[in-house]
Amino acid sequence: MPLIELREVSKLYGFGNATTLALDEISLSVERGEFVAVMGPSGCGKTTLMNLIGVLDRPTNGEYLLDNRHVARLRSSQQAKLRRDRIGFVFQAYNLLPRLTALDNVALPLAYKGIGLGRRQGKASDILEQVGLRDREYYLPRQLSGGEAQRVAIARALVNNPSILIADEPTGNLDSRDSKVVMELLADIHRRGNTIIIVTHNPELTRYANRVIYMHDGMIVGDEQTAIGNMARGARRNFFNKKGFTDDDVAAGVSALMHAMPGDKAPKSKRQGPSRRRRTKARKARS
Amino acid sequence: MMRTGNIKAAIASLRQAKWRSLLTMLGIIIGVSSVVTVVSLGEGLKHQVVGQINSLGSDVLTVRPGSLVHQHGDQTGLNLLAFLSASTLTNRDVASLGKQPDITQAVPFDFVTSTAASDSVQSDNIYVIGTTPNLPTIVHPKLSFGDFFAGNGGNFAVIGSDIAHNLFGEFNPVGQSINIKGQPFIVHGVIAPTAGGLLSVAQTDYNNAIFIPENTALGLNGGHSNILQIMIKAKSNHTEAAIASAKKVLEQNHQTVDFSVLRQDQLLSLAGGVVGSIAGFISGIAAISLLVGGIGIMDIMLVSISERTREIGLRKAVGATNRQILDQFLIEGLVLTIGGGLIGIVVSIILNVSLRVYTHWKPELSWSIMILAVCVSIAVGLIFSVVPAVKAARKNPIDALRGN
Repeated sequence: MPLIELREVSKLYGFGNATTLALDEISLSVERGEFVAVMGPSGCGKTTLMNLIGVLDRPTNGEYLLDNRHVARLRSSQQAKLRRDRIGFVFQAYNLLPRLTALDNVALPLAYKGIGLGRRQGKASDILEQVGLRDREYYLPRQLSGGEAQRVAIARALVNNPSILIADEPTGNLDSRDSKVVMELLADIHRRGNTIIIVTHNPELTRYANRVIYMHDGMIVGDEQTAIGNMARGARRNFFNKKGFTDDDVAAGVSALMHAMPGDKAPKSKRQGPSRRRRTKARKARS
Repeated sequence: MMRTGNIKAAIASLRQAKWRSLLTMLGIIIGVSSVVTVVSLGEGLKHQVVGQINSLGSDVLTVRPGSLVHQHGDQTGLNLLAFLSASTLTNRDVASLGKQPDITQAVPFDFVTSTAASDSVQSDNIYVIGTTPNLPTIVHPKLSFGDFFAGNGGNFAVIGSDIAHNLFGEFNPVGQSINIKGQPFIVHGVIAPTAGGLLSVAQTDYNNAIFIPENTALGLNGGHSNILQIMIKAKSNHTEAAIASAKKVLEQNHQTVDFSVLRQDQLLSLAGGVVGSIAGFISGIAAISLLVGGIGIMDIMLVSISERTREIGLRKAVGATNRQILDQFLIEGLVLTIGGGLIGIVVSIILNVSLRVYTHWKPELSWSIMILAVCVSIAVGLIFSVVPAVKAARKNPIDALRGN
């Protein structure tokens, strides 16, 4: 029995001539314990799909069964409880509350569950320990590095023992070293039996996944099982071969890879070669 | 425990924008402190007037020009127009009242002029009043220096404490000379400071009055008199009879009822009514600032909600229900208004103390008005936070996460 089952799910935005079809009758099932990477050019509906799976949004048409329960048409308070108890979100921009300490940020979902302050902070502290940030408990988000902030965000997503962890470009704002730390953390969480779905532009990250889904114009155009540790074949083909794709797609894919997409606010990739910080350090050392 | 957490969170987020929160609360602070201060001033004034009138004793009656107008029910008021025009009371009335068997004394308050001067200083806006040496037997004024004049003639004056202070400073003025309408008067006595009063409503403000003998007063005004009121002392236990006979004799003299004979309790309700309506009017104006303060809070909260769109989205993504977001912003609004209300009360207490110390007003704070003011500010907070809070709660989490 799949954990997530989408049946011919569509999502429309806008009205009249401005209507866009973000998802076009997608059917997808994800088993418990899978690590799914979703790839595709910008605007292909990846984020919309994540929002639907995360019960942040409702499909225009179709059915969504989470753990064999129809959830697409639930009342919004029910959906909020579902998000609180079953789903953990990790965002590209971390989305930590700037006024709260790392500990309080992690404890936030517990507060909405009505758990007392003491137990809340104890649990949050334990989770921070698991992500290796015990000593950053009382730091404010602006005092944390990007990698640390994202690990706090992952801790927050984990604090309620969710069934699914949804990460929308979790490494999009990070340099290669921090990306690696964050991805290793996600892999570790996966090894403990959690279900993880990530959206990424970076084919390297498919090494952590055991299933890669390719999307294009609101449709799933490829679904590949892959061994953990190997880069997905489809990812290589998508970005390095022209077979089956138009020049535009390749351009979109390549620019996504370089993180220089128009409208994509991700910083220029520092993944190729050493990071700028390291390079300046090296230059300083030389002089 | 969820609630206390929410309140703490609300205080924390308001402290983050200290100046803005303070300025937002300012409307409520001003509203609450001014309502509380005005009402306590009114209460204090009422108490002073009441105390003054009560000190006269129940057998003292006051005759005023102008008839009592009966408004709806048992409320009475004086015809103010008659009040402001020249008095219809005459010295003949005083004489005939004094002859009544139920009345022991009748003393006129004959208004002469409103200025007096010493060698160097002039006092304006005072009451120079012609009266008879019998006044002390009715009003029993305390004199700090000298004594009341004994004859009904001669250029003697008994002056109020404020006037004494104004004209002569700290010196004992008895035996000094003052100038009224071009004539020199010798100060015969000084009345000890009394609680202030409203001459036109209830009692003469003795602090700002100069009493001179009635016959001298008539001479100053060329034989004319302008009698503000006649005070009557009834024989003991003959108060009702004294009222009846006073009414009868005055009606005979005037051929019409253009006067009123007031007992102390009637004076009290008159004074209380006037003070109450003035205080009510000013409080009404102050209450408008509470309303404006409430609108200010709504305004700031709407701004803060659009600034915190992302925060709302994130909170919803981690499982906050609409209800929980609503509560969060309602509590923030309430913390603002209750805080404003409490600061307003502290301000009004400070104002009260300084009024008592630096002026001769004696405002009286009451718990009921403070509690009422805080309740009103809570109500204002609830009413004006509802719109922004509902707006925040209804935000779509997707749009909220995307927005900045």
